[in-house]
Amino acid sequence: MKNRLWLALRLPDLPLVSFPVHPDEQAVCVLEKQRVIYANTAALGAGVDIGMDVTRARLLSDCITYQRDMQREQEYLEQLTAHLYTFTPYVHIRRSNIVPDSGLLLEISRCLKLFGGLKNLCGKIATAMADISTAYGLAHTEEGAWLLSYDNSPISGDENPADFIARLNHVPIARLADWRDEDEVEALKRTGFNTLGDISRQIETQSISSIKKRLGKDFADFITRLFGIEQNFQQTALFEKPVQTYQPKEFFFDTMQFDYPITQVEQLHTPLEQMLQQLGAFLRKRKLACQKVEWRLFDIYQNSHHLSVHCAIPQNTWKLFYDLTLIQLESQQLPFAVDAIELTCQHLQKWQEQNQSLDFSGRRSKNRGGNDLALLEGKLKARLGEQAIFKVSYKDSHIPEQTCEKLSAFTPVNQQLPQIHQHALRPTWLFENPLPAQYRQQTLSWRGTLQLLTGPERIEGYWWAAPKARDYYIAAREDGLRVWVYKDLVEGSWFVQGVFAG
Amino acid sequence: MNPDKPNPNKLITLEQLLQRGDIWRGQSQGFAPQAALDSGHAELNECLLHKGWPLASLVEICQPAALNGTNMVSQGEWLLLAPALRQLKEGYTVLLNPPALPFAPGLIQAGIDLDRLLVVAAEKKADFLASFTELARADICTALMAWQPKHNLSYTELRKCQLACSEGKGLYLLFRPLSVRQQSSPATLRLRAQLHLRSLEIQVFKQKGSLNSANTSIHLALPETWLPIAAHANLGQEQSPPSTHSTNNVSSIKRAKRKVP
Repeated sequence: MKNRLWLALRLPDLPLVSFPVHPDEQAVCVLEKQRVIYANTAALGAGVDIGMDVTRARLLSDCITYQRDMQREQEYLEQLTAHLYTFTPYVHIRRSNIVPDSGLLLEISRCLKLFGGLKNLCGKIATAMADISTAYGLAHTEEGAWLLSYDNSPISGDENPADFIARLNHVPIARLADWRDEDEVEALKRTGFNTLGDISRQIETQSISSIKKRLGKDFADFITRLFGIEQNFQQTALFEKPVQTYQPKEFFFDTMQFDYPITQVEQLHTPLEQMLQQLGAFLRKRKLACQKVEWRLFDIYQNSHHLSVHCAIPQNTWKLFYDLTLIQLESQQLPFAVDAIELTCQHLQKWQEQNQSLDFSGRRSKNRGGNDLALLEGKLKARLGEQAIFKVSYKDSHIPEQTCEKLSAFTPVNQQLPQIHQHALRPTWLFENPLPAQYRQQTLSWRGTLQLLTGPERIEGYWWAAPKARDYYIAAREDGLRVWVYKDLVEGSWFVQGVFAG
Repeated sequence: MNPDKPNPNKLITLEQLLQRGDIWRGQSQGFAPQAALDSGHAELNECLLHKGWPLASLVEICQPAALNGTNMVSQGEWLLLAPALRQLKEGYTVLLNPPALPFAPGLIQAGIDLDRLLVVAAEKKADFLASFTELARADICTALMAWQPKHNLSYTELRKCQLACSEGKGLYLLFRPLSVRQQSSPATLRLRAQLHLRSLEIQVFKQKGSLNSANTSIHLALPETWLPIAAHANLGQEQSPPSTHSTNNVSSIKRAKRKVP
C-alpha cells in the first residue's frame, strides 16, 4: 500500500458536457427533479444555491436551465477513461452519490518511469483533459486523492505519504458526506471532530481501536483506508484491496480492399464469408456474441453504401449472418462497383452458453430447437419484414376478435381456454375486419345463400367504450362452406366473421 | 450427324433413366415415398399408399374457391389435417400465406398446439417460393401448410417446391384452387376437397405408384354441430331464415349469454 500513488481527476463541470457552450456571464443551471444540482459561476454569483428550487433560481439569476442527462455524462466519462487508458491500465470512474461531482481515479505509481516522472505525467494528463475544467488531487490512497482534489494543491513531483497525511489533516469532516451517511458525520461533529486531523490525532494517542469502539468497524476501516494506516497483520499485502484494471470496450472491425471493382453480388460471396469467419473466430476466442453486424461498401470515389444485419438471438458463429447478408444483397442491386468492404460489430455481449440438460436418449433436437428457429426466423424476416412471422395466442376478452393476438415467434403463448369458451363453437379462420352479409327478402346471403344451422350465441360487452351486442350463428352456404355470422343488435346488420374449417 | 448413330458419350439408356428415383412408373411402387403419417381418417388411409399422408413429398389439395374473386380457399382443412397434426410431437407447424387469420380459440378446440404453430405471411409469388423452399428444407418445420398466392404457380415453380420437399422430412401441403386441377403438377399426391351439406368429400386424382385411384372418392363425416337438422331446415324454408326464434328450438349449443359486470 506504501507504494501506491493515486491521482484523482474531479470534474466539477461534468453536468454541463451534455449542453451547448454559453458565454461566461450567462447564468446556467442544471436541474434534477426540479432542483438545481449545478450552477455555473455567473449563477452562483447571482445568489443561486445548489439544491434550490428551480423557480427561485430563475427569479434570482434569469438563468438558462437544463435537465440533467446522466447517460451522456456516463458516456463522456467512459470516453475519458478510454483516453486515459493510454497512461495507466488502473483507471476507473468514480460517480459521487451526493455531490454531482464525478470523475476518474488513476493509480499511477507504476507508470511514473515510463512517462518521465510525476510532473511530466501530470502535465500530459492535463493536456488530455484540456477540454473540461478539472480539479487534481494526489495522495497515497484512493479516498485521500479524491478529498485532496478539493484542496487544489499544486503538484510538485516530490510528494511523499507524510505530505499527503499533513494535507488530509486539514480537510473538514463535512467532506466525508460523500462516503458516509449524514448521521455519522453529524455524530462526528457533535463529538468534537472538526477536521480529519482531529481523528488522526485521536488515533495517534489512543490507537484505531478507540475509533472502532465508538463509531463502528466499518468507519474504522474507512479511516484506515483513507490514511493508508498499516495494520498489524502478518502479511499486509494479502489484505490490500486489489486495484481494478480497466477493460477497454471490445469491438470488431475488418476491412478488405479488392484488386478490381466488383459489380456482381456473386463475386462478393467469398470475401463476405472470409470476413465473417474472422468475426466468428474473434467472438469464439473472447467468449462473446453479437446480434448485429454492419457492412459498408465503398467505391473508388469513397461513396459508401450501408447494410445492417440483425438477428433475434445473439450469435457467436458466422453462418446466420452470412445467410442474412446474402438475402439482403439478393433483394437489392449493388449501387456501384465495389472497391472496398468494411465489417463492423460494435455491441458485443457475453456469450451465454445455452443450458443443456443431460440427455442419455440421444435425442438432441429439443435443445437445438431454439437456435434453429432463430435461424429460420432471421432468414424469413430478412426477406419478408418484421411483421411477417408470428404466432397466435388466446387473450381473455368478451369480444371474439380481441381473443386472438399475434405474438413474436419466441414469446410463449396462452392456450388456456376458459371453461365458458371450451364448448362454444369457434371458427378456425377469422376475418380481422368482419365482412358485411346481405339480408334481402328474408334471405341471408354472402357470395351465395346462407342457411342458419345453430345459434344464437349472444355476446355482449365492451359497454365502457363502444357497446357491442351480437347474436352469433353457424351458417352453411349453398356450396357447403360453414361460416360464422352475426347480427349486430345495435345496428341491425349482418356480418360474416369467420370460417369453420375443422 | 447421323440420327441413327447418336454420340455414344451422350447415350442414356432407358435402364439408366429408370434408375432415377423421381420418374413415375405407373403402378410401380418402388420409387414412391415410403414414409407416411397416419391421416387419422380410416377411410382416407385405405385410399393412400402406405396408409397415410406421404412424408417428404409435395401433397396438393385442390379446393373450390370459397370466396369469389379472391384466392381464399377453405374447405375443411383443419377437419382433414388436425388428426395428423396432433400426432406431431415436435417441430413447428407453419402456415404460409394463410387465407385469413388463424383464430386461436378455434384452433385450441381443434387440439392444435399454438406454441408450435407459426404463421408466415408471404403474398408475393417470389417471396412465397423462397419461403416455401426455405421452410421445407428446415428441420424444425415438421408440417407446412401453404396456400398458393394469387398468381398461379407454374410447373417449374411447383417442381422447385417438390424438390425442396424431398430434401425435408415433414408433411408438406399446398392448397390450390380447383381450377388448376387440369394442369399437370409434379406433386406426389393430388386431392380434391369439397364440402357438402353433410360431408367432406375427398377425391384422390393422382397418386404416384397407383393408377386406379382416379375415381375413388370418400366422404368424411362432419362434426355434429355443423349438420343441419331436417326439421330445422324445413323451418328455415317456411319462416324467415335468420330468425332467432326458429333456430332457438333446435340449437345444439347452449345459449351463452354473458354480460360484462
